[in-house]
Amino acid sequence: MAPASGIEVENLQRTFKDLTAVDGISFAIEPGEIFGFLGPNGAGKSTTVLMLTTLLPPSGGRASVAGFDVATEGPDVRRHIGAALQEAALDPLLTGREHLRLQASLQGLAKQTRDARTVELLERVGLTDAADRRVGGYSGGMKRRLDLALALVHGPSILFLDEPTTGLDPQSRSDLWEEVSRLARDEGVTVFLTTQYLEEADQLADRIAIISRGSIVAEGTPDALKGEIGRPSLEVVPSDAADRERLAQVLSEFGPATAAPTGAAAVRLEAGADGLAQVVRRLDAEGIGLNTFDLHAPTLDDVFLAKTGERLADEAVA
Amino acid sequence: MREFSSTARAVAWRSLHITFTNPALLAPALIFPLMFYVAFAGGLSSVGDLPGFEYSAGYDTFQFGFVLLQASAFGGVFSGFGIAADFERGFARRYMLSAPRREAIIVGYLLGALGRAAITTSLLTVVALVTGMRPQSSAADVAGLVLLVALTCTAAMLFACGVAMRLKTVQAGPAMQMPVFLVLFLAPVFVPLDLVAGWVHGVATVNPVTALMTGGRDLLAGEAVSELLVFGTAIALAGGFAVWALRGLRSAERTGS
Repeated sequence: MAPASGIEVENLQRTFKDLTAVDGISFAIEPGEIFGFLGPNGAGKSTTVLMLTTLLPPSGGRASVAGFDVATEGPDVRRHIGAALQEAALDPLLTGREHLRLQASLQGLAKQTRDARTVELLERVGLTDAADRRVGGYSGGMKRRLDLALALVHGPSILFLDEPTTGLDPQSRSDLWEEVSRLARDEGVTVFLTTQYLEEADQLADRIAIISRGSIVAEGTPDALKGEIGRPSLEVVPSDAADRERLAQVLSEFGPATAAPTGAAAVRLEAGADGLAQVVRRLDAEGIGLNTFDLHAPTLDDVFLAKTGERLADEAVA
Repeated sequence: MREFSSTARAVAWRSLHITFTNPALLAPALIFPLMFYVAFAGGLSSVGDLPGFEYSAGYDTFQFGFVLLQASAFGGVFSGFGIAADFERGFARRYMLSAPRREAIIVGYLLGALGRAAITTSLLTVVALVTGMRPQSSAADVAGLVLLVALTCTAAMLFACGVAMRLKTVQAGPAMQMPVFLVLFLAPVFVPLDLVAGWVHGVATVNPVTALMTGGRDLLAGEAVSELLVFGTAIALAGGFAVWALRGLRSAERTGS
């Protein structure tokens, strides 16, 4: 049995004819935790969300959300969750306020509390001024914010956010991150967040699971996952551009070369940060002057690369 | 129960709100039945003079009986179009995700269909009365007619709902409309059953809509009605299609919305 507002998943599977979208994944999420579910397009993130929100029955395994089985206790699960899915399900002919009232009624909220909740949520997501405009005229960011407000109407203990910031401008993205953090911190809401943005997972999530081709390949806190990779990379720009080749040759003595901007050379330090002093001495001995000398800690993209052999950052940008 | 009715009312509210705040959606629902009535009752009025055509309330009323049921049935079918559109555009996902009891979604769509049918058939009735229709119904007959219209709309809506929830695309429109169109026009539309000849007579005799249409016309003419046959058929159709719609909902749940 999962904790009251947590999630417990055990060997969950979903197949579509010949395609296995989710292949026996297992994890547990504690109440009040922000859990990042990271993976490229088609990895199985959204299918997992659909199963956990009772929109798609699992083909195998089991999952409980807020203590209720998703396959057999769907109504109880739905009473406890809110979800903002990848494509906001909004009606272009209704206004923002009408959406919130509709959602409150759908969830069975008492009439007396509907209007107050509507006003409160419109204020919280910054849509008070646009509340009586039809949603068809909203920007992408406004639709996302309204979708988040709709997911919160009934005060759910668990919130599912499926790629909530895709297509948002930096300011809207930052606002949404702040609100999600506040929900977990101040209201104890458990957040299941799928994303293909590494920065998002890194900033928001208490713990992360990386899913690739339907299977979870890594799970842990962002720091622990990056710690597993261990080795930082060093990026150096010589003061004389003509020294670039010689610089790269010297650095290669300390580990494999990695991608670097034009004019720079970079290397993954086999000895970690402890080898820095030796690198400096070696460069000095060679008489190579330095313009910049940057040590980069491992990123989640490095973790993803190590676990799957692919770079997630490239896909997310694409 | 409060939760169930709240969900159903929310779905019904949206259906009606969208229809009545958008002239492009409202106008066809109001105009088509009027066009049918004017075309059939006006253009074919001399059919009422045929030998053997016996209907005491006149040809206008005879045709009104058909158009009334047609309007209520197509009102139900148009709700199916709305359901299919909701699935295709993703809005149904909000319903499926939010409604603790998903059966309430069907009830909500049904209430919306009945609300629209009430407006359409009321307007049709007013226009028919203003343009000279003289039914001979008692108050009890009118109540029976209202019930018959509601049951017809219910049966058609539940049929279309079952199709929409299985196919989940507006391209399923013909699969909802065509069967209803066929059973309506394979009933005695223009003349009483006794005057219908050939294979159509055979089909019309076993067509359940014939019982509804004849019963409706009898109620309009203030004549004796076989309650068991008329209302029993209507209730059986509504009940059968309720099962069909519920199984459609289960199908939508299985395949994901």
